[in-house]
Amino acid sequence: MSSNVIPAIEFRNITKKFGTFTANEDISFSVAENTIHSIIGENGAGKSTLMKILFGIYSGDSGEILIKGNPVKFRSPLEAIDSNIGMLHQHFELIEDFTVFENVILGSEPVNSGVIETTKSGIAIKTLIDKYKLGLELDDRISDISISQKQKVEILKLLYRNSEILIFDEPTSVLSPVEVEEFFKIIRKFKDEGKTIILITHKLNEIKELSDRVSVLRKGRLVYEVDACGLDLDVLSREIIGNVAAVHLPDERAVFNNPDVLIKFENAKLKKDNVDKLNGLSFTVKSGEVYGICGVEGNGQSEIVEAILGTEKIHSGKMEIRTRDVSLVPDDRIGKGMIKEFTVGENVLLREKKFFIYNAKRIKEKARDIISKYDVRLSDETAPLESLSGGNQQKVIFGRETGLGNKLMVLVHPTRGVDINSSAFIYKIIIEERNRDKGILIISSDLEEVLKLSDRIGVIYKGKIVNEYGKQDFTFRDEAKKQEFMTNIGKAMIGAEV
Amino acid sequence: MIESILSLTFLAQVLRMFTPYYLGASAANFSERGGVINIAIEGFMIISAFSYAFFTITFGNPFVSLLLTIIVSLLFSLLYALLTIKLKINQIVTGVGFNLLMAGTAKFLIMFFYQSSSNTPNFQPLPGLPFISDIPVIGKAAGDYIIVFGFILIFISQFVLFRTRFGLRLRSVGENPEAAETLGVGVRVYKLYGVLVCGVLSSLGGIWLASNQGSFSDGMIAGRGYIAIAAMIIGKWKPVNIFFACLMFAFFEGLEITLQITGSFLPSQIVQMLPYVITVLVLIGFIGKTRPPAADGVPY
Repeated sequence: MSSNVIPAIEFRNITKKFGTFTANEDISFSVAENTIHSIIGENGAGKSTLMKILFGIYSGDSGEILIKGNPVKFRSPLEAIDSNIGMLHQHFELIEDFTVFENVILGSEPVNSGVIETTKSGIAIKTLIDKYKLGLELDDRISDISISQKQKVEILKLLYRNSEILIFDEPTSVLSPVEVEEFFKIIRKFKDEGKTIILITHKLNEIKELSDRVSVLRKGRLVYEVDACGLDLDVLSREIIGNVAAVHLPDERAVFNNPDVLIKFENAKLKKDNVDKLNGLSFTVKSGEVYGICGVEGNGQSEIVEAILGTEKIHSGKMEIRTRDVSLVPDDRIGKGMIKEFTVGENVLLREKKFFIYNAKRIKEKARDIISKYDVRLSDETAPLESLSGGNQQKVIFGRETGLGNKLMVLVHPTRGVDINSSAFIYKIIIEERNRDKGILIISSDLEEVLKLSDRIGVIYKGKIVNEYGKQDFTFRDEAKKQEFMTNIGKAMIGAEV
Repeated sequence: MIESILSLTFLAQVLRMFTPYYLGASAANFSERGGVINIAIEGFMIISAFSYAFFTITFGNPFVSLLLTIIVSLLFSLLYALLTIKLKINQIVTGVGFNLLMAGTAKFLIMFFYQSSSNTPNFQPLPGLPFISDIPVIGKAAGDYIIVFGFILIFISQFVLFRTRFGLRLRSVGENPEAAETLGVGVRVYKLYGVLVCGVLSSLGGIWLASNQGSFSDGMIAGRGYIAIAAMIIGKWKPVNIFFACLMFAFFEGLEITLQITGSFLPSQIVQMLPYVITVLVLIGFIGKTRPPAADGVPY
């Protein structure tokens, strides 16, 4: 990329403060046209803030942004959209009660004297869906489709508005491995079409696979930039994390002789809308072990959690939960795990049983406890939880749930959206809890994570555990063995014969 | 008794009961689809019924009065919008305030203009549609402009809400204003539109009641504005369902009146309870979960 070509976007000395907290400090770099440019950094490094300034959601305190050489200052996202910039947010901006079609056209409706024209525009949108293989149906209601499909609806909205510069804010954090592959294909297709893509992420493999150039942010500053061809992952990781002592997983795994069975499913079946979501599910979780369930999302994982919580009843077979106290980190942290309008302290206190009255001091103590232990980055202790970034919210929930000291923990995507440092810390806590004779069920689409943490693994496919592995099966002597195992488990996850 | 229910007189009765309910319920629906709760339907009907009586008595022309009354209602709607949308005052509190204000204003003005504590002088009701009005028994109801409009309103509401840009944007604002705004929908403007449409429709409800009675009297709206809101909720904010909910209310109220006239073995208190008891039973048994627009009542 020679320097005499005008870049698609140029950031010049961008600074943004929230009170005393500096989110962006003097950031300058440019994004070349028709490239995939990754911005990487931990939770709270300032990536999202920078993009929100570009997109007109925040205004920067100082500095300027140039689009194709012209200085711009968007006062609202609308002005950014008009300049053919589109952003895929971490939290979707969809109207749950609307159909896919209605969500896509809202704001730029095709109309004949006020009446919405559905035939021609329907065909046009369908063409976009087919071209980028999004696999959506125009008449499906948003509340009925999966998270990955919702994300595709957001992408479709950008395409419908002819966005040339696309910003993706941690797009893969809600996707399973198979869906991530699909997503990569879509991104590459965008590049082939001449679009410019900014990818915000904290996953190293995405950078390796997709990007042309990488910018690293740490604590609000741009600390490192490199072309993908000269990329050294070790250097990159160091730049992302900075000088922090690495957290090691405890190697020792305590052995317990008479484990209690905490969860027992036996040939359980659960129907939803006449579809068998659990179809002959059997597995047990004992105390003093981590049981990992891996599989492609939508194969019954959420139904397992719902059955354990009692929000859905199994129709046949058996389910026994032999403890009354269950800690849960749910899949949808905003919807199920917390009250987003409450502060950190209030959310923690909410889960406690033995208290009658409380005061501000108690809330503050609760909050500080988790904030310091889990390195939660926030500008204000009294701010609502929704103002924290996704990864920080996750840390709060995880911290609260492990702090309860319950015999059984059910963790769904325990580190989704969480940065490397905090993930390592969460892993450490999980193993420590296991070594205290707790029973832990992990449901995750991150296979590496499941392998790292589990004593036993069950592969779920179409509501059934199709394969089970013990620790000896996935303790590898060499890389080749690991590859072989990964291939096998990958096949099991998509229902191919092993 | 059965003969009296199956008669055309009964049908005409139900049509008359149905109209103010459906106008009020549709009014509330347009406001709530845009995310603004308006429990002042009752108040809007009261002030419109009085205004219509006042203008007709003063100017004589029923159609001019109709227009002027709608303007009065629009002015009150603007005030309601100013308080709830612009100043973000709690919508329930504002609604309660409007109900009290409008009932009190009407009562005061009857006293002021007509030196009566309870009612205005009589006036000529709105003329009916030509020809149809002359049909015996049913003609007076079937030939009534506003009753006919009430029926057409089912299709208008359905079309406007689900086939036009206006409807799509109005609903988006009631469901998720943040998302709507990022897509360039003027959130407050659409909320305002919803409140204005609400003002016009509830006004027609009040006008019809006054015209039908040929006068305005204190207490004549008799809670119909609240029943209309209940019908909207039972109808799950959908025009066609609201239609059936209103029809149900109208049917049982018609039944109550018929039973009272013809006499039945049931004590009259029990008969009067009928519409409400049935409503509660329907709510428990058949309606299932109702889901309001997601951002209903939330100031933006």
